[in-house]
Amino acid sequence: MGVRVTSGRSLLAAMIGVGMAFGAQAASVPDLGPLPPIKVNKAKAELGKRLFFDKRLSGDAGIACGTCHDPKQGWTQNKPLSDGYPGNGHFRNAPTLVNVAHKKVWNHDGRIGTSLNDMTREMITEDYIMNMDMRIMQERVKQDPVYLKMFKDAGYGEPSNGKVRKAIPEYLKSLTSRNAPFDTGKMSGAAKKGLKLFKGKAGCIQCHNGPLVSDGKAHNTGVPENFDVFLNPNNHQAFIAFAMFQGIENYMNLKRDPGFYNVTLDPADVGKFMTPSLRELKYTAPYMHNGMLKTLNDVVAFYNAGGGKDSKKSPLLKPLGLSNSEQKDLVAFLLSLSGDQLTTAKHVWQKPYPAEYAAIKNWKNVRN
Amino acid sequence: MKRVIKFRPVLMAAVAGAMIATGCVAQDAKKGMSGPPPLAPLGPPPIPMDNLQSPAKIGWGKYLFFDPRLGGDASTGCSTCHQPDQGWSWAEDISRGYPGTVHWRSNQTIINSAYYGKLFWAGSVTSLEKQAKSASKGGVAGNGETDIMEARMALIPKYVELNRKAFGTEWPLLFDAYRAISAFERTLVQRDTPLDRYLLGDKSALSEEQIRGKKIFEGKAGCIQCHNGALASDENFYNIGVPGVKRWEEDGLAQITFRFELYAKGSPEEMYRTLKDDPGAYFRGKNKWDMGKFRTPSLRYAVYTAPYMHSGQFDTLEDVVDFYNAGGVAADGRTTSFPETKSPLIKPLGLTDQEKEDLVAFIEAFSGDEITVEKPEMPPYAARFTKAQLQAAQEAK
Repeated sequence: MGVRVTSGRSLLAAMIGVGMAFGAQAASVPDLGPLPPIKVNKAKAELGKRLFFDKRLSGDAGIACGTCHDPKQGWTQNKPLSDGYPGNGHFRNAPTLVNVAHKKVWNHDGRIGTSLNDMTREMITEDYIMNMDMRIMQERVKQDPVYLKMFKDAGYGEPSNGKVRKAIPEYLKSLTSRNAPFDTGKMSGAAKKGLKLFKGKAGCIQCHNGPLVSDGKAHNTGVPENFDVFLNPNNHQAFIAFAMFQGIENYMNLKRDPGFYNVTLDPADVGKFMTPSLRELKYTAPYMHNGMLKTLNDVVAFYNAGGGKDSKKSPLLKPLGLSNSEQKDLVAFLLSLSGDQLTTAKHVWQKPYPAEYAAIKNWKNVRN
Repeated sequence: MKRVIKFRPVLMAAVAGAMIATGCVAQDAKKGMSGPPPLAPLGPPPIPMDNLQSPAKIGWGKYLFFDPRLGGDASTGCSTCHQPDQGWSWAEDISRGYPGTVHWRSNQTIINSAYYGKLFWAGSVTSLEKQAKSASKGGVAGNGETDIMEARMALIPKYVELNRKAFGTEWPLLFDAYRAISAFERTLVQRDTPLDRYLLGDKSALSEEQIRGKKIFEGKAGCIQCHNGALASDENFYNIGVPGVKRWEEDGLAQITFRFELYAKGSPEEMYRTLKDDPGAYFRGKNKWDMGKFRTPSLRYAVYTAPYMHSGQFDTLEDVVDFYNAGGVAADGRTTSFPETKSPLIKPLGLTDQEKEDLVAFIEAFSGDEITVEKPEMPPYAARFTKAQLQAAQEAK
């Protein structure tokens, strides 16, 4: 029943009104557990790895996917707002890409629910993100003999922008949690106590459930706006461009991130954001869609206080009355959802890229 | 017959061949009969009815022309590639292009661009307004998108104010920004060259050498067949034998753009695979007979706009004259990759060294003083809201 709650708004309100019977609800949501394995094509993933860290995949060749999704920073950036494309800023926190292939819906506002292929296209071509004309990208890739061989070895044949959009998702499948104490069963005593709170008194599992520790739905938790989105013109221009392109009315006067409203255009959805996975959060501070909470302690304190202030806040959120030691136990559990950092050559392309594009020899006499 | 020449390039070939043989083109021009329009002093530029000039537009357009924020990564505005001290152009074979790229054609001057009805080398657009749009958005030019460029303008209070005065809308629209830029560009004209003064009656405006060159221009060299009228361009498309960009053979970055252009402009598969030269006006109607044709450029302001031709293959006007004198073949023997469409107007001219010098001297008479403007200081961004406003909105959530 808890699963349905999030798909029917009016139903939800009525039910929550009855009371926060956490224990009962916890039993009806998908349980936590290990992520199912994903089959990965090695050659295709290896190609995707090189593409992911290649700055030549952005318009001015200034940034790569891995610039804002930096393996050393938990596959995000350890700052509230992502850098965005050179010349502008961004208005949201970059989510980690570990376990991204387990998601069904992407972006904090959930605006892409089709495939990682489409998500890859969105990131590469969006003007405030990588601003790449994919036709130029295709020809850049074709100019690099290393890519010619890798595309061939991967069974893709000749490089094309469509195959770039296949290779990168294949690589992203390889970014999955490894050796998280929660998965290996090596949780500390505090973490085990925290798990109980997670499923019980704190009620986290109402939204953070299933193997991914996310229900893949949008909720309004009342996270305060990050004023830097609006006070810094570089960030604000990215926000305006986004809202303009998405067709969100009155975009010049918005003083808040509309969130899931972008998808439904239902005023009830203003300020809702997709439940993030809690896996690997040890490395991904700061937290929330706009990076407003610096530490996990802050996050737990935020929920303990019943979330933030918002007239449309989810009724799932109420003050929890967790003691200090309970909050510590909860943080210990959250940390047990993080495994080994994926920072070695297995997951990160570490070989250098050519400083310039080699000319094709005998150019006039070979086929383009 | 003039009409035939203007609109039917295929027919033109046969007819023009006969005319050149008898030298009648130059003769007719001189008599003002059925030949090409004579050279003429340049009048004021045509102003489109849907974008009349106003001081407010011109003023805002000047800022915008120099503002690098009207490009993808805020580094590449109009003036980045159209540099006033490089003839409002770019002094390399092909234009520098957006960071991470290089263009594939020579950059054309902004000076007197107001007079063209066909902009870009292949005449792909018909107004400065549309030219500005193509240039600001093209992947190897400005690489900007409407939403981010409009967002940037909206956060520059000076632009909000200038736009309001010029167009009356609350927030700047990119469409209007292009109109403002075009209004500014329509002030970048030169109508007082030695040639203009000469044609207006000041017989001392041209040197003896230049007057001799004018005769050659209109006669033996036949330049006036295409470089005619006040703009010294008939705005028709010709393949005169200019070779492609030499750099394509040795520069990986340039090779990328070459293929991108074939791809982006829409080429049949086999053409994309095999072409090694710029098909030019082919992309207008996708007609084989337009392969390698480019719109006649004006000769005005040419002194400042080297290198020359759509592919920027000639560094000096002397090189250009040598190229024509050889019948459309470069000094290194290179020529167009599309010989089947080469204009029969182009034949070896048999000019003497003296005649070539005179001709170059005359071509220089199409340029007056160098045009410079003071680059405006770029107005800064400002936050749209105060912290207090944001706090109030937060409280009201």
